[in-house]
Amino acid sequence: MTTKARSSIDVKYLTTVGFTADFGGRGFHLPTDIAVRSDGHVFVMSRSSHTATPGLRIGECDLEHSFHGEFGSHGTGEGQFIKPTALAIDGRHHLYAADDKLNRITEFDARNNLVRTWGETGDKPGQINGPSGLAFDRQGSLLVVDHLNHRVQKFTPDGRYISQFGSQGQRRGQFNYPWGICVGPDGRIYVADWRNDRVQCFAPDGEFVCMYGKPGNGEGEFNRPSDVAVGPDGSIFVADWMNQRVQVFDSDWRFQTSLRGQATLSPWATEYLAANADEQRARESFQPVIEVDTDDPHEVSARIESYFWDPVAVEVDEEGRLYVLETNRHRFQVYETRS
Amino acid sequence: MVTKPAATETQLMSHLLRRAGFGGTREEIDRFTDAGYEATVDHLLSPPSVESMPQDIIRRYHVDQSDLRIQPATGSNWIYRMVTTDAPLLEKITLFWHRVFATGQTKLIQGKVIMTQLEMFRKLGLGNYRDLLLGLSKDPAMLMWLDNQDNHNGAINENYGREILELFSMGVGNYTEEDIYECSRAFTGWTIANEPYNAQKMRNNTARPYGYIGWQFKYDDSDHDHGDKTFLGETGDFNGEEIVDIICKQPATARFIARHLYHHFVADELPVPQWPHLPPRDPEAIEIMADAYFNSDYNIGEVLRTTFNSDFFKAEATRNARIKSPVEVVVGSLRLSGGYDWPTDDVYDANASCGFMGQGLLAPPSVEGWQGGEDWVSTGSMMQRVNYASKVLGDTSRPGVRKILDSLKPTAGEGDAAALVDASLDNLGYLELGDETRQEIVDFAAAQLAEAENLSGAARTAAIEQTIISVLQLAVATREFQLA
Repeated sequence: MTTKARSSIDVKYLTTVGFTADFGGRGFHLPTDIAVRSDGHVFVMSRSSHTATPGLRIGECDLEHSFHGEFGSHGTGEGQFIKPTALAIDGRHHLYAADDKLNRITEFDARNNLVRTWGETGDKPGQINGPSGLAFDRQGSLLVVDHLNHRVQKFTPDGRYISQFGSQGQRRGQFNYPWGICVGPDGRIYVADWRNDRVQCFAPDGEFVCMYGKPGNGEGEFNRPSDVAVGPDGSIFVADWMNQRVQVFDSDWRFQTSLRGQATLSPWATEYLAANADEQRARESFQPVIEVDTDDPHEVSARIESYFWDPVAVEVDEEGRLYVLETNRHRFQVYETRS
Repeated sequence: MVTKPAATETQLMSHLLRRAGFGGTREEIDRFTDAGYEATVDHLLSPPSVESMPQDIIRRYHVDQSDLRIQPATGSNWIYRMVTTDAPLLEKITLFWHRVFATGQTKLIQGKVIMTQLEMFRKLGLGNYRDLLLGLSKDPAMLMWLDNQDNHNGAINENYGREILELFSMGVGNYTEEDIYECSRAFTGWTIANEPYNAQKMRNNTARPYGYIGWQFKYDDSDHDHGDKTFLGETGDFNGEEIVDIICKQPATARFIARHLYHHFVADELPVPQWPHLPPRDPEAIEIMADAYFNSDYNIGEVLRTTFNSDFFKAEATRNARIKSPVEVVVGSLRLSGGYDWPTDDVYDANASCGFMGQGLLAPPSVEGWQGGEDWVSTGSMMQRVNYASKVLGDTSRPGVRKILDSLKPTAGEGDAAALVDASLDNLGYLELGDETRQEIVDFAAAQLAEAENLSGAARTAAIEQTIISVLQLAVATREFQLA
């Protein structure tokens, strides 16, 4: 199916990768972020529930549905996490993961071995409180959304403070519990300004450039956007979290289309059903999309399995493929996008 | 009993806020006392704000409170609502209906569908009882809880048809087995969308492959028994709606619901299974409430308005005549102590504590819910109750506790133990203690303050603070604090 609405951007559903795995193994559990390596390997951070701590880990897979393993676990030790939030990958294929409870960043090498952990709690320059988004700029510096301090800080990959921008508020350049972040192909920094229901764009030096969006559920309106991604052609994808959709814009913020999700069964899911004949049989009469009797997008998503349910993170790879990670469905959907 | 005259305006207000909510802070009680009793009843029944901690904030930090699959997530989410709401009666009536119309995750597995049911209780619970009973009959969690998906034309399953009469409206002894059968026929075809798959996932207790799917009511006319039914003396091609109409106009329904409301809001009643055999604690009160039910066209809010403004509710014998439920102990303690302005993992501890005390939210022991009353108290649960309240109200990192502590320091500093204890009790929502209990705490405080007098500087300040905290902890460890 191709989605094209007065749009210069074609968005075509490709596949779904995922499976509920709340105690580890092939699949994810309540994931919060996704990162795509240039060799096509995909990393998914499963935050998991308060009690199902074995579910917390970083899973590694690819678009061919191969599962390459997992690392990281629940705890306060080196390489462990309590409330992990965000992932980013640098040019050396090192993976960085943030934890908004422990207020620290953990670095793994290209073989997923622990390199170091850094971070100090506080609100002074270089200290962090609730890191919720990570991205590398074109100079190789790590941008950290320091969301409880309502700012973005720039660090060297090994944690030395460089600079910061932003403060709490509603004016331009200010934030209200920001969440996700990305760097566009032109080096501009995009931040999901979560509780201001908008996305803000900054120059590489942190200078305010523009902002887009207002509260609501219409086109170009957001309800708690959690993440933003920019494609190689400048197309902008916003995880419109509470509206349970992804909105697509061109590089000038002209609305293109809105995605609600169209997941299909992944091979991992298919294999599970094949091994559980009673469920497979019961699913034969299953109607994936029903006419719902509620307007609440969260409830609609709960009732329709193929729709996004808490689309928390978006990523675009070098080939322009869009990845939409859903916390409550333990999977990500992949779309081909083309201008 | 107490050192103050009985039933002062303040005491009545404290009583009202304990029953129609989870108790008030001293400031709340003083403010509502100034506003007046009946005005406060109006305020509670029609709250100007129903705000609580926003769900977007909760879901961001506690991701398991978005899919609401497991009990620690669902129970904690409800604790947030109860602790932070501006409309405590709305949560109290939701808790009430959850107790009467009990459904549990033990069978339904996914908690989300029960949370959706609770939202329905919030919306309809203080309104017309017919709307509520119809909402309940169409509620997917209730339908699956009582197997109505297996109630087919020509193959009757009586589970829902029986319980709507026995547990949800009239009580045993007011209908026949034939009525149950006919009632069940009327609810054939009342099921949920995608029932085969959703029921199988429930039976298999599996969130695979992509989590649970929220349930939705579905009426399947092709599976409905359209034949004539004779129910409670009336005959016709009744569907569920007509059955609910007939149920709601029964005097037995009015008395049964009134007795439940009395048990929850006024004074502990006998366990429900004994109701067919033993009269209510206060038959006259039940009649007054039943009259209010009919006079208001089955409006539950109006029944409560009549109740809260009645002499039987304000009577000395009624005040402190109920044993607090575990949820009342936990939520009441947390509303006093504060500290829930932002998501905190403490909420999971609060939720678990309710379970340890015998009231696991969304996990009632049976279709009859919790019996309450003396059932709440055992040696083990009493220990849990005391320890929990003592821990929370002894935690000076909580802003409400810190505020109480700071306000009591001048009194404690003067060395007047009796004044300190009385002020502490006032700060705990005008807690009323028996003379002997109060005196024991006064003696303890006097000894502690005397020791503090021998100290100076920071050591003296610390000793005074510790005395205040100890007084608060002793006060909430009393028998009286366990009563509402």
